[in-house]
Amino acid sequence: MEIFVLILSFVILVGIRVPVAWSIGMASLFTILISIDSIPSFTTIAQRTVTGLDSFSLLAIPFFILAGHIMNHGGIAKRLSEFAKSLVGSLPGGLAHVNIVAAMLFGAIAGSAGAAAAAIGSFMSERMEKEGYTKEYGVAVNVTSATTGLLIPPSNIFIIYSLASGGVSIGALFLAGYIPGILTGLILMIIALIWAKKKGFPTGTRSSASQVVKSFISALPSLFLLFVIIGGIVAGIFTATEASSVAVVYCLILAFCYREIRIKDLKSIFVQSAGTISLVMLLIALSIAMSWVMSYENIPQDVTESLLSFSDNPIIVMILINFILLVIGVFMDMTPAVLIFTPIFLPVATSLGIDPVHFGIIMVLNLCIGLCTPPVGSVLFIGVGVANTTIHKVIRPLLPLFAGMLLSLILVIIFPELSLWLPRLFDF
Amino acid sequence: MRKFLERVLEWSVVILLSVMLFSVLWGVTTRYIFEDQSSWTDELARFMLIWVSIVGATYVSSKNQHITIDLLPKRMAQKHKLQLEVLVSSLIILFVLAVFIIGGLRYVYISFHLGQRSAALEIPMGFVYGVLPVCGMIIIYFKFLAISISLNLLKKL
Repeated sequence: MEIFVLILSFVILVGIRVPVAWSIGMASLFTILISIDSIPSFTTIAQRTVTGLDSFSLLAIPFFILAGHIMNHGGIAKRLSEFAKSLVGSLPGGLAHVNIVAAMLFGAIAGSAGAAAAAIGSFMSERMEKEGYTKEYGVAVNVTSATTGLLIPPSNIFIIYSLASGGVSIGALFLAGYIPGILTGLILMIIALIWAKKKGFPTGTRSSASQVVKSFISALPSLFLLFVIIGGIVAGIFTATEASSVAVVYCLILAFCYREIRIKDLKSIFVQSAGTISLVMLLIALSIAMSWVMSYENIPQDVTESLLSFSDNPIIVMILINFILLVIGVFMDMTPAVLIFTPIFLPVATSLGIDPVHFGIIMVLNLCIGLCTPPVGSVLFIGVGVANTTIHKVIRPLLPLFAGMLLSLILVIIFPELSLWLPRLFDF
Repeated sequence: MRKFLERVLEWSVVILLSVMLFSVLWGVTTRYIFEDQSSWTDELARFMLIWVSIVGATYVSSKNQHITIDLLPKRMAQKHKLQLEVLVSSLIILFVLAVFIIGGLRYVYISFHLGQRSAALEIPMGFVYGVLPVCGMIIIYFKFLAISISLNLLKKL
């Protein structure tokens, strides 16, 4: 009964264009009103909302968002793309590969896929059009490759997963994301290669060794951030939150040295970032409230029971969970999906003997696909927005890339070592 | 009034965000340089996060930037579109009134009543949670403005 009220009210609210965060809050409120009186319900949701935000590990998210905005304005994305171009620009369909590699590099220093899609997409789409690629193809490559940034650490979504799962190590999740992230990027590159041969897209000129070295040196200060953040977290020098605050300062210093931003730009960068931050944080706060309502109503236990009564074969249950997640991903943004569904599916997964770190990678990679599909895909919207085109034109070139992401997901599910080898190497 | 409120909210988020950044950085610095981490840094940063999120959400709701999903047909009549906007704003007003203002005030009251204070800074927690009803009122003000704009446009149709 409660679960139907929850789902139905959420779908209706979102359907009539109530902003997603408010829809989540309202649906939770309606559901809790079934079992508690009105005033205590209001108080409980208010309490869950503010105490949900009261978390030191969540603090990393606003800082990574801020760092991402500074990178966008600070010429850091540009230097990474130049470096990527000198490496893979000479492959058939060169600029598509440049976009994918640049997104992976950007993902390795920023925490969100949206930032990568905006930063890389905004100057790659123009260049790709000039060299004779269709705009839509550029967007498709840009948005799918931007999601690799969610797997390649640092990654905000792993911090959220760590919170939702009740404390899976952020360091372990970060390390676990490298291989699946790079694997996804490589698969996308193979597809881009085949597609380029078929369509006869131009091949860039080969860069000389000195050009590679030159662009590497110019990208080096940006890449060094990777060692500071990930190295610092893995070596236990600082927490993910502290690393993210250091990243903000580092990006600021770099952007000032590059003379790309001035003191007076800071206010607008901060206000812009605060807008993004509060969008994400309100979504997080109200999703935490919804997740609490669900556990209050015993929904996770019910789902676990019915899933396990359906089958106790781990493979079938995993297929089922992944199928449900794919559908959820199409209709819900990744952040609330992770916060709401981790407490529901993780117990099932662990009861089948799946490592919580491995499950986190599966969940994020799965939901990445939803980020690039209409009607909700936030990364798709950003990609389409910066390239000035429309969503329905992008869908066709997206299809083969989706197939690639699915292939990567299947590989990551079948081979836990892809996720777990690296964290084990570092004794997590 | 709206411009003024927006300006205040803008500066508030800039200041809150900066304080948040400095307190976390100060925490790392004191731990490594003075080998004794200030106990208040974590706490202050966490409170700033609550404030930035809620104040920022208020700012965003004035700009109408909260993420919505377009499942509805694109070519809806202008009239129905506006009516729907009024409905959505009213729903948000009701929700904010119930949770942010009524629920928030009661939660603030309970915190004061129990004398809850934060561990390191010893701030009464009621002040920290007070951001909810205060911002709730501003959100409701913005949403009433949005409704009156939509209603005016409806009249002109």
